[in-house]
Amino acid sequence: MDYAVIADAYEKIEATTKRLEMTDLLVDLLKKTPKNVIAKVVYLTQGKLYPDFVGLEIGVAEKLAIKALAKASGRKDIELLQLLSTIGDIGEVAEEVMKKKKQTTFGAQKTLKMLEVYETLDRMANKTGSGAVGSKMAFLAGLLSYASPKEAKFILRTVTGNLRLGIADMTVLDALAIAYGGGKEARELIERAYNISSDLGRVANVVAEKGLAGIKKFQVVVFEPIRPMLAERLSSPEEILEKLGGKCVAEYKYDGERVQAHKKGNEVVLYSRRMESISDQYPDAVELVRNNVNAEEAILEAECVAVDVETGELLPFQELMHRRRKYGVKEAMEQYPVSLFMFDALYVDGKDLTLDAYPLRRTLLEKAVKENDRVKAAKQRKTSSVKELEEFFEEAIEDGCEGLICKSVGADSVYQAGARGWMWIKYKRDYKSEMTDTVDLVVVGAFHGRGKRAGAYGALLLAAYNKEADTFETVTKLGTGFTDDDLKKLPELLREHVVPRKPSRVQSTLAADVWFEPNVVLEVLGAEITLSPIHLCALNSIRKGSGLAIRFPRFTGKYRTDKAAEDATTSAEVVEMYRNQLKQIGAA
Amino acid sequence: MFKLKVSDAKLLRDMAAAIAILVDEATFKIEPEGLKLRAMDPSRVAMIDFEWPKTIFEEYVCEAPSKMCINISELLKLLKRAGKDEAVELSLDDKTGRLQIKITGKYSRNFNMPTLEASEEEVPTPKIAFNIKAKTTTQGLSQAIEDAQLVSDHVRIEADSEKLLLNASGDLMGATITLQKGSDALLDLEAKENSKATFSLSYLSEIIKAASATSDIATLEFSTDMPVRIDFQQTKEGKLTFFLAPRIETE
Repeated sequence: MDYAVIADAYEKIEATTKRLEMTDLLVDLLKKTPKNVIAKVVYLTQGKLYPDFVGLEIGVAEKLAIKALAKASGRKDIELLQLLSTIGDIGEVAEEVMKKKKQTTFGAQKTLKMLEVYETLDRMANKTGSGAVGSKMAFLAGLLSYASPKEAKFILRTVTGNLRLGIADMTVLDALAIAYGGGKEARELIERAYNISSDLGRVANVVAEKGLAGIKKFQVVVFEPIRPMLAERLSSPEEILEKLGGKCVAEYKYDGERVQAHKKGNEVVLYSRRMESISDQYPDAVELVRNNVNAEEAILEAECVAVDVETGELLPFQELMHRRRKYGVKEAMEQYPVSLFMFDALYVDGKDLTLDAYPLRRTLLEKAVKENDRVKAAKQRKTSSVKELEEFFEEAIEDGCEGLICKSVGADSVYQAGARGWMWIKYKRDYKSEMTDTVDLVVVGAFHGRGKRAGAYGALLLAAYNKEADTFETVTKLGTGFTDDDLKKLPELLREHVVPRKPSRVQSTLAADVWFEPNVVLEVLGAEITLSPIHLCALNSIRKGSGLAIRFPRFTGKYRTDKAAEDATTSAEVVEMYRNQLKQIGAA
Repeated sequence: MFKLKVSDAKLLRDMAAAIAILVDEATFKIEPEGLKLRAMDPSRVAMIDFEWPKTIFEEYVCEAPSKMCINISELLKLLKRAGKDEAVELSLDDKTGRLQIKITGKYSRNFNMPTLEASEEEVPTPKIAFNIKAKTTTQGLSQAIEDAQLVSDHVRIEADSEKLLLNASGDLMGATITLQKGSDALLDLEAKENSKATFSLSYLSEIIKAASATSDIATLEFSTDMPVRIDFQQTKEGKLTFFLAPRIETE
């Protein structure tokens, strides 16, 4: 397969903002792809070489990419840097200068093959240590010397981590269903395979080579993270019980980091909510899993919480965030030790439990875990009474938790991997008081600061995630709650996500000074949700022509690095919160 | 089994330096008669063709022809630790696949480094009918290149039967450097046809800088808009030749 086929498809995909068109283009590409390499093409389309949980990045800095491009095009570095600062995108710079190459080369020109590109990038990604930079640059310059201008554009974007085609995982699944599953109806089956493996490439390979029959046999595998099941939210215990059929198991919602622990013999890997390996940050938690899980093979879910070892008290999430580091892990481990609260079992000793009801999973979980001071099953209470639920909630708050997760105990209470459903319902303190509602919003734009904040960002444009449309709809402009440190840190944090114009998935009537690819998620405390003529969050869902906006937003100081943009508060949740708030005002 | 020894580290150091300007990972052909390397830089703009007969080494052992790939800039770092007149011994440990570097003189040190997967690619030398052949002193050529570098990043090299011209024009400044036939810098000049071609000065200067340590006389061969071949006559035996692809002149 020629790499040009892929580059052509990228170009067309990039040009469209319509998701259906994007899907069709992707279907074309997947059909043109030989089945045995379809996994690689799928990874490449997402700007990757492997699924995220492998944790291998190509890791080429812009500076190095410029050097390689200078060699291949015969231009000076400085000339390219100037072009980059005016054009803003290294891919376009490459396309431009490779059209007018000033340097001839030895040897015959050959067509770049997809496999050669993939394998070269793979070799680059695997180069580490002394001399790695030089080797990476050599590999890249070599690829570029054979690349057409269009190919050079996408190769450079890929290696610098800026492919930005805007193809969501769900779009790939749609395309796979159409191309190899016999039609869009197959999407649900294929999506389940993805949800239990987090590996789009493997899913693509199976559906292409073995069809839906292969997908139906898809298995949970240790060391392939399962996409987490998510909870809906409601604000009153009455409603929660009603939704759950009159009874539920209420479980402490610990204020920590959700981890998925995979164990096989002595080998343990912890995955974050974003399905990246975080074992290196939590050697103590790895040890706890190794020693306290009886099963030979297991996939368990737990909340990893910072604890005061002296008092046994649970510490808030902010304390745990000291553990999010690459260096000084040992010191941090001693200063901020953690406990594990196990709350689900998805796989134990050869048995996939994701399609079993929750009560059975909990029983097997308790069997698989040997409890001690640092490892426990999440505290829970089975109840059908509103009063009891409220009492247990107060207890959870007193114990330092965020609130409760109320879980269905019905026969249909399977583990809905990757889905947010009504099987699990969050009951958080925030809902009770209408002025302290926090939401997790995505930064999509920024406005330049004035006065004291000149040179920094004055305000950020934040969006909620519209899951149905797969778009980000603006909901507020955030300008308060930032410390001086935040103001310094934010531009650094956001710089790598800057895009020259409004990303196609962002819905906004406001024209920001700077646009970002949706990525950074901040926790925001809002005072009130109002109908808005400006913001597009949940447009038309309450009143025709109006969206919803959050008034008086304030940054709580929490960078939700554990959440991807798609994990942010959804527009539908904002609608839900708006409705709840109205009730409360009515009740008051 | 491969082993070689030189009594003066400079020889190996200069060799490694000349190769390192073009390639990071260098695949050597180890043959009973000597050491060879032919490689292209990753962007395929320049090529090196290098041969050292075993006679220039104090000791040279090669039982069977083989290939060895090493990171040449890393090797160069080690060789730079050797002082003048210190002896260096390279040997390949067949068991571990590592290259042993032993430097002895005032005191002795043993380094070792990994070998890499050897490139299977055969690099052919370009077959070109050259119309110009100019024999210069390496020193003279180096000076001319330095002059041109003051004003631009590329240079047009022209020649007729009388002289060799280097024309450089930058954004603001220009330069013309003339080497007359029979002058101190231009020892000999043969011209079948007047020719001119443009080359990258950064490649030229790096090549000449690295090669001048091993050579006093450089022979340039080129034709209009074709690659240039620069052969650096080695003070001892051996061969060090570079090829450089031309630039495209659009302005």
